[in-house]
Amino acid sequence: MNTFWKATLFVLMTIVIIAGITLPIVKSPSVWYELPNIPGLEEKAKIIFFHVPTAWLAVIAFLTAMVQGIKYLRTNNFEHDAKSNSALQIGMVFTILATITGSIWAKFTWGAFWHWDPRETSIFILLLIYGSLFALRSAIENEEKRAKLSAVYSIFAFLTVPFFVFIMPRIMAGLHPGSADDTNAGPVVDFQMNSTMQVIFYISLIAFTILFVWIWKLGYKSILFKHQLVKEYD
Amino acid sequence: MESFFDFLEKNSLYIVLFITLTIWIGIFLHLLSVDKRLKQIQKEIREINEDEK
Repeated sequence: MNTFWKATLFVLMTIVIIAGITLPIVKSPSVWYELPNIPGLEEKAKIIFFHVPTAWLAVIAFLTAMVQGIKYLRTNNFEHDAKSNSALQIGMVFTILATITGSIWAKFTWGAFWHWDPRETSIFILLLIYGSLFALRSAIENEEKRAKLSAVYSIFAFLTVPFFVFIMPRIMAGLHPGSADDTNAGPVVDFQMNSTMQVIFYISLIAFTILFVWIWKLGYKSILFKHQLVKEYD
Repeated sequence: MESFFDFLEKNSLYIVLFITLTIWIGIFLHLLSVDKRLKQIQKEIREINEDEK
């Protein structure tokens, strides 16, 4: 990743942190830097600038893993397996982070760390699905076989992601903002946020996406270098 | 400096802000250093390959 993107990432994320933490939440915003009070979320609504992009990054990572998996199946080039593997690792880490941050927030909004709310249940299933992919990878020693199985699994696993992340938690009644029976917060992004809040939210999504690309590149490069060195000296 | 300290004591939200910014700068600098190290390794691997040719 070149210096431009690194600088952009630094600036955008710094803006999100400063604006996301310090801008005041008031009952009826009258100036541009005031954020609206969303019933049921109040001050805790600021989690949306960090928690939602974390989950977003995980979805992007799993999508990348699938795309690289398809590329591997077409070319049988180890490079694509390394890229897919690196994306899977990042996706897993950020799914766990989304679960933990959501759980901390739930403790203070709903009263307990875990409720088996549809959103929590769906992310738990995702953790199981992708967790077993790592078990599968570590169980196979043959490199080609591992890459092939992992590629196929990552494609099938990603088919469940839109359902578990975007659909199931929205059509079922639950506690999480945006659930089917959510009368307080409703569709948070479109109707409850003012434009300042939306701008910070979207900048955050962009910043997290750039962050993903950078970590991903570092991840797959290190896998590829290790692979080259092993080939060199074995 | 004294008044800045007083300001922080009265507006503790900004303490959270500075902590978060410090963590972010730390993560960013760490990523930069890993990035640099990997570029160095890439260069070394390329040199090894060229020497063998």
